[in-house]
Amino acid sequence: MGRTLERTARTISTETRRIAADHARARLRRRRRAELGRHLVLALVTFILVAPFYYVFLASLKNSTEIFSYPPKLLPIPPYFGNYRALLWDTGFLRWMFNTLFVAGSVTTLKVFLDSMAGYALAKIDMTGKRAIFLLMLILLMVPIGALIVPLWSLVSALGLTNTYLALILPPLANPLGAILMRQFILGLPRDLDNAARLDGLSEFAIYWRIVLPLIKPGLVVLAVIIFTDQFMSFIWPLIATSSDDLQVLTVGVAALRAHGGANYGLWSASAVMSLVPIGVFFFVLQRQFLARSLAGALKQ
Amino acid sequence: MNEAAGMNLSAGQPGRMRLSRAEHRRLHRKARIRRELTGWMFLGPMFACFVVFLVIPVAGTVWWSTRSGSIFGGTKFVGLRNFIELPGTVGAWPAIENTLVFALLSVPLILIGALGIALVLARVEHGASVYRFLVYFPVLVPGVVAALIWLFLTNIDFGLFNDVIRFFGGMPVTWLGADSALTVLAILDVWRNVGYWAMFFVAAIIGLPQELYQAAELDGASVLARFRYLTLPLLRRIVFFAVIVSTIWGLQVFDTALVLTNGGPGTATTTVIYRVWLYVFGSNNKVGFASAISLVLIVAILALTLVQMWLLRDRRGRD
Amino acid sequence: MTAASGNPAYAIELVDVTKHYGKTPVLSGVNLAIEPGEFIALLGPSGCGKSTLLKLIAGLEELTDGEIYVGGRLANYLRPSARDVAMVFQNYALYPHMTVRENLGFPLKMSGVSRDEVRGKVEAAATLLQLNAQLESYPDELSGGQRQRVALGRAIVREPLAFLMDEPLSNLDALLRVEMRTELVRLHKRVGRTTIYVTHDQVEAMTMANRIVLMHRGVIQQVGSPGEVYSTPANTFVATFVGSPPMNLFKGRIESSAGGRMFRGPFDLPVEGLAPPAFADGPVALGIRPEHIHVLDPGDATGLAAVVDLVERVGPDSYLWALANDATSLTARVDAASAIREGDRICIRFPLQHLRLFDAAGTRVAKEA
Repeated sequence: MGRTLERTARTISTETRRIAADHARARLRRRRRAELGRHLVLALVTFILVAPFYYVFLASLKNSTEIFSYPPKLLPIPPYFGNYRALLWDTGFLRWMFNTLFVAGSVTTLKVFLDSMAGYALAKIDMTGKRAIFLLMLILLMVPIGALIVPLWSLVSALGLTNTYLALILPPLANPLGAILMRQFILGLPRDLDNAARLDGLSEFAIYWRIVLPLIKPGLVVLAVIIFTDQFMSFIWPLIATSSDDLQVLTVGVAALRAHGGANYGLWSASAVMSLVPIGVFFFVLQRQFLARSLAGALKQ
Repeated sequence: MNEAAGMNLSAGQPGRMRLSRAEHRRLHRKARIRRELTGWMFLGPMFACFVVFLVIPVAGTVWWSTRSGSIFGGTKFVGLRNFIELPGTVGAWPAIENTLVFALLSVPLILIGALGIALVLARVEHGASVYRFLVYFPVLVPGVVAALIWLFLTNIDFGLFNDVIRFFGGMPVTWLGADSALTVLAILDVWRNVGYWAMFFVAAIIGLPQELYQAAELDGASVLARFRYLTLPLLRRIVFFAVIVSTIWGLQVFDTALVLTNGGPGTATTTVIYRVWLYVFGSNNKVGFASAISLVLIVAILALTLVQMWLLRDRRGRD
Repeated sequence: MTAASGNPAYAIELVDVTKHYGKTPVLSGVNLAIEPGEFIALLGPSGCGKSTLLKLIAGLEELTDGEIYVGGRLANYLRPSARDVAMVFQNYALYPHMTVRENLGFPLKMSGVSRDEVRGKVEAAATLLQLNAQLESYPDELSGGQRQRVALGRAIVREPLAFLMDEPLSNLDALLRVEMRTELVRLHKRVGRTTIYVTHDQVEAMTMANRIVLMHRGVIQQVGSPGEVYSTPANTFVATFVGSPPMNLFKGRIESSAGGRMFRGPFDLPVEGLAPPAFADGPVALGIRPEHIHVLDPGDATGLAAVVDLVERVGPDSYLWALANDATSLTARVDAASAIREGDRICIRFPLQHLRLFDAAGTRVAKEA
């Protein structure tokens, strides 16, 4: 009787163990299957999102007859470089690229500096009207430059800046996003760090320069990436602020290729590919900071 | 004065105030002015740019909206006439309608798509960074270039879309026709922006408290139930923020419409900012209308901004 | 500028110091004189204004009214670094991007001390605080206690007139806190500088300070040695804030009759001699510390009958939470060896010399006017 019981107990316990093991295996299988499902979904999504790039890249390496032929060649063999040659030697593309990089670089440098200073004042200096200024910045944060082209254009031409680099560089400095972000970053620093520095005899500028800036370096890089990409992509203001070919930026020049000189699909595809090279390289190098662009939105809340 | 101090010398007793009120007030003011000046040295340069190139233009839009004439000179005051006549002015109403339809089409698709991608991407165990890179890449494409790329997708003869349709034996479609151009423009926007919001949602989802999900799983909640009763409510503010901001962005569409369709066919894809541009530089007497319609856009954006600030005010108030 | 000088005998002197945030008063009319070498604890519940007071002395905030003298000089309008005080912050506020050596030397470097001298002083401070092995580390590589010591070291190297410490031990775990407490006291004995130490922990205040400044709602409640504050609290707030468990307080009235003065409340008690003869009859509170209540056998009819409702054993002692007259709760301390248990009836007595009398406003009534 006792032995039977013992045996039953043992059977039950091996049985439970077996069931538990089964469960674990089943769970693992389920997990693997779910992971596989996720990869399938993501592969499909990314394929859809990326396919257009490949299609245009393909077109850029085809001559005009190949572009129009059906079924399309899926590999660019042999590659045709005539489109790129035409783009680089017969259009102002290199000049546009230089203008874009120069303007975006200037705006980024200036703005990172000005915005971090403004953010410091908004976060750390007790001054009258600070709250009201901050509120005004939040309210006007979303007003786009496209809705302001009439007063902006007349202002810039009244200042005699039309067709100068300054016309492209100054108006983007107004955007308050950077100052708001920098304020947030600086408020996120350990409390009392600035007070410790004040007791150590640092001036406000020294606190900003020697303590705050080194500590918000990651934030500065994120801000620089945000400003640079926004500038790289900006279109309407450069479009109306400049009429001289020498000052055209990439987006304006590429749009002009489309607007003038007939349907030159080969040239268009080459310009699309070449336009994406600098930002693509930056993105590859600074992936994390780029993705933080999205997070900047979350941070704003 | 020293007498007073002397009297209080006994056992740790402080004296009385030794400077006059007036003297204190003077020194106080001096210290304060020094502080304010320091503050303005930091804030000043950026604030000057902010005022000159943002605050003044916003106010200037109001002034311009009461003028009639050309931006190149010779305007006169017409009061509110621009606003009264705006609905009847050529192209004004279609522009507003196109913009609203564009936003109503693109915003839900972007956000639903982004949320879907994010839910999958946030839980993927291997290779997430590769997907992130690829999903985000279209975000970095300037509108002009994106439109150029989409010319290659939507071309009737050799576009990718029609190639695919032909491959399955269908008839080629006129993608940029009067009926469909605006929809294509909206889909282009989805392609360009879905990655941005997907990353935004991924960050939010990863930040959700994991214990809640474990508890829900123990309670036997299915994947769908967990999404419905946990993820969505927890992401409420985030989703709300995304709705407002992506709507505001949607209202600004211009460069893709210019390059992909030239605002057409007819006025099928002429958006508000496109119309402003046409009024200013494509006509010699409509700068007032341009400003009036700009002002409508600015007010709409400010209203959305304020709604968002008001609804998300709790967190904001705490700095 | 008008030169205003305070009493040079004091290290720090506060005169009618008042601070408002907008319309909210944080400190009202704080007067205090601190002598060189004193270790002062600013003690009070959170929000009592003690940290604000420290920041005002350091110059990190501006006062609304009043005067602050540091070393006999009017400091109101001096920059923080010109006040000759050093501060230790609650979260240490070490520069994360500098090594320990750089952190320690930074204040000296900023005041233009020569490189060699900085080196010597940093090394001396490091030796004093046993930080030599960590000099080249960054703050995030240090333990909590080490960070704490670096923060102290940064204050010490400046050799200031006074140290201001804002709850410096509150981020440490309990064991380390006790250790650092004794270390700080030892350090104070060795360095011998005036120290103002803000804390909400009465044990820290009692064990470290030679004088305690008790604050509540922006007003100083009492200034005195730990012993004074404990045994003769200035008012009912101090009586209940200091001591754990707090002093027992019984509300009632003083009534005079032919037989002498009586306390009439939850129980009646003759209190002849507890108040000066001029003290008028009226509402009062009677206070007594738990350890001063005599607990007698239940048979003893000379005292007050009570029922024990909870016995709390804390090592050498036990606290009895009891109900007297079925309505008034009180706490009494007995030896841990005591056999009294929950539900037991006991009898208690209040020795007159340990009773403290507080008037209707809560202020303690001195025995002799």
